[in-house]
Amino acid sequence: MPGSVITVRRDQAETLLARIYLWEIVKGCVITARHFWRNLIGYMIGRRRTFVVNWPEEKVGYSPAFRGMPVLVQMENGAERCVACGLCEKACPTDCITIFPEEVGDGIQRRPKVFDIAIDRCMFCGLCEEACPEEAIVMSRRVEVASITKEGCLWHKEDLLTPASELPIRLGHIRNGYDRSPN
Amino acid sequence: MPKGTTVLSAALDAGIHVPHYCFHPKLSIDGSCRMCLVHVEKAPKLQISCNTAATDGMVVKTDTPAVLEARKGVMELLLVNHPLDCPICDQAGECKLQEFAFQHGRGYGRTEDVRRKAPKRTEIGPRVVFDQERCILCRRCVRFTAEISGTRELAVLNMGDRSFISTYPGQPLDNPYSINTADICPVGALLSTEFHHKLRVWFLNETPGVCTSCSRGCNVNVGGYKDRVWRLTPRRNDAVNDTWMCDHGRLNIDYVNDERRARGAALRTATDGFEELPFALAIRRLADWVAEVKAQHGPQSVAVVASPQLTNEEAFLLRRLVRDVWGTSMLAVPVPMGEGDDFLVRPEKAANGRGFADLDVPGASLDQVLDECTAGRVKLLYVIGSEMLSVAGEARVRRALSGVERVVNHDILPTTISDHASLVIGGCTWAEKSGTYTNFEGRVQAIRAAISPPGGNLTEGEVFARLIASHGGASEHFDADRVLRAIAASVPAYGSVTPEAVQPGGVATGDAAQPAA
Ligand code: SF4
Ligand code: SF4
Ligand code: SF4
Ligand code: SF4
Ligand code: FES
Repeated sequence: MPGSVITVRRDQAETLLARIYLWEIVKGCVITARHFWRNLIGYMIGRRRTFVVNWPEEKVGYSPAFRGMPVLVQMENGAERCVACGLCEKACPTDCITIFPEEVGDGIQRRPKVFDIAIDRCMFCGLCEEACPEEAIVMSRRVEVASITKEGCLWHKEDLLTPASELPIRLGHIRNGYDRSPN
Repeated sequence: MPKGTTVLSAALDAGIHVPHYCFHPKLSIDGSCRMCLVHVEKAPKLQISCNTAATDGMVVKTDTPAVLEARKGVMELLLVNHPLDCPICDQAGECKLQEFAFQHGRGYGRTEDVRRKAPKRTEIGPRVVFDQERCILCRRCVRFTAEISGTRELAVLNMGDRSFISTYPGQPLDNPYSINTADICPVGALLSTEFHHKLRVWFLNETPGVCTSCSRGCNVNVGGYKDRVWRLTPRRNDAVNDTWMCDHGRLNIDYVNDERRARGAALRTATDGFEELPFALAIRRLADWVAEVKAQHGPQSVAVVASPQLTNEEAFLLRRLVRDVWGTSMLAVPVPMGEGDDFLVRPEKAANGRGFADLDVPGASLDQVLDECTAGRVKLLYVIGSEMLSVAGEARVRRALSGVERVVNHDILPTTISDHASLVIGGCTWAEKSGTYTNFEGRVQAIRAAISPPGGNLTEGEVFARLIASHGGASEHFDADRVLRAIAASVPAYGSVTPEAVQPGGVATGDAAQPAA
């Protein structure tokens, strides 16, 4: 790709001003203050030029690669896709997933009786999603999951279940990413 | 190397890895899986090492290109019709098919044909389920029922690629050793119904231990996870149980995980309720009561009934506490008796009756103690465990207990005895403590704590040690290894039994130490 080449000179002698250092600090403060005032005035007159999102009133769209908290994919019949194979539990570096399986129906298939994620320990790394052979646990776009109690941080199966129809972007993304397409 | 040793056994003994399915050290040779192919010099073709006798000067190569390619081929054939079941297969994690596919397989499939369908769940016995799709027809299970259990329930029906494992009509796989077939099945075709879809095996913390359901003391691995015991599996010990154990012993773990387990200690209140109190106070209280009763009525008015499930170390301390410190000979150790068989199961339904006898712990019979109780001459009865209920019967025990002023119950579950107790102390099971048991023929074998006790219960040994301390004895924490050294120093028959020597296979004492005739 053609473009202009900028050569950076790293051996430039430091000027006296730079060595005094105080001046550099003043320069930094000025830049920060300039952004602050620009932003504030822009906000008041309704013409913002710096990229600031007034969360939580405003939100931005995330890219498909964005990883929020892991959730369990719910099929159309309401059941979880998860078969409680325990691979995510094993892959999780923070050990925050706890699964106890149980038999379903004919005694051949299985599902999680307990599926808990201690979301305060989860670091949204996505290794559980990568380990899952069933596309049953995926990284959602949910990040606002703070709680002030320990119990509030423990998400159970019912809390984690999310209809597949709400997760098309991420499901499409991992199908490409992990090459899970049928052929 | 004894004559007749096969190439495979010789290689395995020398620590050389040769993949194999149908070979099992305790079963006859089958030669059906073809996984163990090796290159034998001067032989025209690859040989199956499990059925080739090793001879002097023989040159065997296990990693020539031809061997590796042959293994890939065998794996490919085994996997052609194998379901992609690993995520829902209980064997995953300890499956030889997974392991060898990973180590020796091609890594990808070359067929696109639809895989063969077969019944996914047949209850071929009350305790074993069978998934025909996963079976690789190694015939280990068939040979087990023919050679070990002798019950011959299983057979291969049909021929060629239609063959499958089945029971004979009307003859379910229900022998008392049936779950061993699930252990030896190298894949997830035979599985224990009890453990089915319970837990991933890689989460289990397998602690070497000993089964306590009879005095054989089969060596086991105790699968613990999150303070529960999930399963027992036999551990090989050729001097005790080879690689087997009975179904009853394997499944007899529910009481360990019981919700009703006694936690902490509790004292009966004036209003007939119970009030929790710290262990230290409960021990203090028991010591005070004993001193009081002894002062008023003499030492023989204190009686103890102990459980033969206590370890040797605990038995040794109990003897010191009761016979030396409390000075009473009223110490009974009832051993429940039941049916035995001519293979593993022994009639003594407790782990350590022999250890108690070797250490000379019992000072009276259960009959004597109960008679003294009924006659009102026992003022304080300290009951550890509940074996006397099954040995003497509920009615007789109840009659005896109502003749005693103070009953102290040290047990794991509520029983008739705790209904009569003035003081209840929560105990520990074998899964929660370390020590040794002596099996019926005098082999001393070690157990190690696999899980932590419920409610912070102290082990029985710790309680005995603290009781000895509260009567002015040396105050030290219970340390099973140290007590075992003390036993070795003071009991001649146990002179060679040290903590180092009992791991992992046990030490033979008494008649077990005599060479077999
Ligand atoms: S995102 Fe990472 S830390 Fe969170 S549950 Fe999954 S594997 Fe564990
Ligand atoms: S890896 Fe997937 S299928 Fe397996 S337990 Fe986790 S979520 Fe369920
Ligand atoms: S038998 Fe082994 S390879 Fe087959 S599904 Fe079970 S774990 Fe996987
Ligand atoms: S059920 Fe298991 S042990 Fe029996 S033949 Fe099949 S794979 Fe072998
Ligand atoms: S182990 Fe040798 S043929 Fe199966």
